[in-house]
Amino acid sequence: MINKLLQYGLTIWAVLTLNFFLPRMIPGNPLAQLDTVEGLPVALSQEQRDQIIAYYGLDQPLHTQYFQYMRGLVNGDLGWSISYNAPVSDVLVGRLKWTLLVVGAATVLYVLLGILLGGISAWHHHRPVDRIILIGGSALGSLPSFFMGMLLVMLFAVRLRWLPLSGARSAQSLGATGGATVRDVVRHMILPVLALVLTSVGQVAYLTRNALLQVLGQGYITAARAKGLRERSLLMRHALPNALLPVVAFVAMRLGFIAMGAVMIETTFAYPGIGLAIVQASTSRDYAMLQGAFAVVTVSIIVANIVGDLLQYVIDPRLRRPIQ
Amino acid sequence: MRAPLIALTALLLTTVLVACAPGSLQPDATIPPTVQPDAADQKVPTRYIASGDDWGFPSPFAFYQRGPGYIRMSYLFDTLVWKDEAGTIPWLAESWNVADDGMTWTFVLRQDVIWHDGQPLTAEDVAFSYVYLAAAFDSGMVKWGWPLDKVAFAQASDDGRSVQIGIIEPTAGLLTDLFGSLPIIPRHVWEDVEDPVKMLENQAVMGSGPFKLQEYSKEQGRYVFHANSDYFLGAPNVDELVFVRVQDASLALMSEEIDESSFTGKQIVAVDAFREDKRFEILEGPNYWTLKLYYNPERSPLDRRQVRQAIAFAVDRPEIVAKAQLGGAIVASTGLLSPGTIWHNPDLPTYDRDLAKSRSLLSDANALPLALELVTTATYEREAELIALQLADVGIEVTVKIGDRTTVDALLNDGDFDLLVTGHGGMANPDLDTPSPVWHNAAYQTAYEESLLAVTDEAKRQSLVWQMQEIIAEELPVLALWHPLMWDVYRPGVVKPFYTMEGVDGGIPLPANKLMFLR
Repeated sequence: MINKLLQYGLTIWAVLTLNFFLPRMIPGNPLAQLDTVEGLPVALSQEQRDQIIAYYGLDQPLHTQYFQYMRGLVNGDLGWSISYNAPVSDVLVGRLKWTLLVVGAATVLYVLLGILLGGISAWHHHRPVDRIILIGGSALGSLPSFFMGMLLVMLFAVRLRWLPLSGARSAQSLGATGGATVRDVVRHMILPVLALVLTSVGQVAYLTRNALLQVLGQGYITAARAKGLRERSLLMRHALPNALLPVVAFVAMRLGFIAMGAVMIETTFAYPGIGLAIVQASTSRDYAMLQGAFAVVTVSIIVANIVGDLLQYVIDPRLRRPIQ
Repeated sequence: MRAPLIALTALLLTTVLVACAPGSLQPDATIPPTVQPDAADQKVPTRYIASGDDWGFPSPFAFYQRGPGYIRMSYLFDTLVWKDEAGTIPWLAESWNVADDGMTWTFVLRQDVIWHDGQPLTAEDVAFSYVYLAAAFDSGMVKWGWPLDKVAFAQASDDGRSVQIGIIEPTAGLLTDLFGSLPIIPRHVWEDVEDPVKMLENQAVMGSGPFKLQEYSKEQGRYVFHANSDYFLGAPNVDELVFVRVQDASLALMSEEIDESSFTGKQIVAVDAFREDKRFEILEGPNYWTLKLYYNPERSPLDRRQVRQAIAFAVDRPEIVAKAQLGGAIVASTGLLSPGTIWHNPDLPTYDRDLAKSRSLLSDANALPLALELVTTATYEREAELIALQLADVGIEVTVKIGDRTTVDALLNDGDFDLLVTGHGGMANPDLDTPSPVWHNAAYQTAYEESLLAVTDEAKRQSLVWQMQEIIAEELPVLALWHPLMWDVYRPGVVKPFYTMEGVDGGIPLPANKLMFLR
């Protein structure tokens, strides 16, 4: 176990180092978006540009910048974002909270729903219910999430006017009481979460169904049935826990990617998540922002992997036995 | 097996059809109108909601250097002079004059202006602002294009009634670029601040302007301003001003989630949908933006003027406007300044498509066979493809390459391209100092420098600016393609948007001048 943790530590360090060098390899620099010809005539003279470069410390030798970056990471200081003119951590936290809200809620929902549907599907193997769930799941899953989002907006926001068009909160909800704010946030969450759930639930259902079918075909299940165990008890206490192993691995991996946000959903709903920020950071060549964002994403994926490993270790006693 | 499959397909199709079927959108009668003209007896705060985005924390050092960023900041801070539809008007300064040698400006200040924290705005604050910002400019902390390097000194008079600002050399256009643009900041907040860029506390947005910042959310692109009822021009006509990011401005307007939004260029399609709708008014405005085809005169055979002109004669600009911008633009003036600005020279060659002339120029210059690479961003891919097709008619082979904005800008600045399509805004005042980073022309440079010296002689400045446009149209460092049209769609009420003369500041074309909240 210690060995594994050391391995993860090394991976994190390697990724963070790569993280530092990669943005600098793309043509362009963080100042380019300050002086963009497409914007207003902010005609920066070469002298002014040099001064700005010096102010942001971009003219220092690469190894100095690297050590500053690493030292900052250890202290939790992710640097200053040139494009947002704010500390990188502020920008990321501001957006991460919305991402965790929507993508987190959606993940919880589609995992639970997926396991439930997968279970029903496997139990009614080859009967109409099974077919509907499978086909429905894969049909919905084949729609790109932004398209699903657009359909939902057209139906619920434009046509029926039950839910808001976009954003995380409405302009009208300012100065509102706590309860009203919560209601407002929830109303804005419904469609993005729904879009994510509908396009992802099929995968989990399929995975669960197949794992469950495999388990149900095993000898010990037949034996338990022969002993007279009730079907529900069989399913819940014997079959499902064993079938969940691959699902746990899958979910752990997905959990890590929550930190990357869902760019398509964020774009469709103008939802202030972290995905869009990462895309914008790469367009504007904002090194600090890119480094910070990818550091967060990398660490979260690795942590999720560690958690996944631990969970499997806990669930599956076979992993605990020393290898013979 | 078949029945559930059919049922599911039917369900899916129904959903798609229901969502896509056309129909009218009824305004929701239960949502109260957000702008109430007769608010006299009512205690409900009047609110104006416009579509927007995140343009940075609106302190004078932190706003993103784009037009809307400046405008947000301008609601909180004031300048010495300002502009309305007709031109420059007094603002913090009641009157002003410039010495004959153009090197010293004197401003007589209003005495009734107070900061949001109640302290009076004095001549010392004005002098401090110029000195402090000039120093910050020298240290690379200012990213907006104020000509602060021209400021020699700023001095408050002994009686506190006026300020004198010295310039290092006579420079035309300062009334717009500097005195009408630089925010006046409170000395008691900023005098001990060493790094103004990193100052993001509430004090950084404490100004003298008609609004105070109530809330700013970076990730939601939302600004909430509350009216400053003690403003020297009177309390604003709305209590609350909100800018919020929306996914689709047209939909948001239709659903009455916002009161106003701007559209430009090929969004003409969205604007047309509002023409029949009685709930909205549409304001059409001039635009100072230009899309240009850059030549690289450092590469043969583009170094020859005949070849550049030949290409211009082969390009069909009306076709580009019709097909790429759906009619939402006008063919650009070849001198770069749009007909919407007072500096526009109307007597310039238009290079109407003439294939015979183009071919003859090319053969005279011995330029064929010719293969060129055209670089642009995805936004102008259509224009690029059309140009490639049009140039093929005279035997020039063009390969189109698409890159992201930062890459394209880098290629332009490094001179690493044959042809390049990109655009530039804010060309009023007029802002013609470098039509292209890879073009150097002595006659042009002379005319430009002379025009800067014509501080008070408007006629001389105009004739020089006309001359500069003639040189551009003749030498063709760039071929201007189109100027986009611009519209503002809004729900009529107490607030009436208008387009500022030559744009806010140095050419921001948005109808978001703070004056519209003070009428």
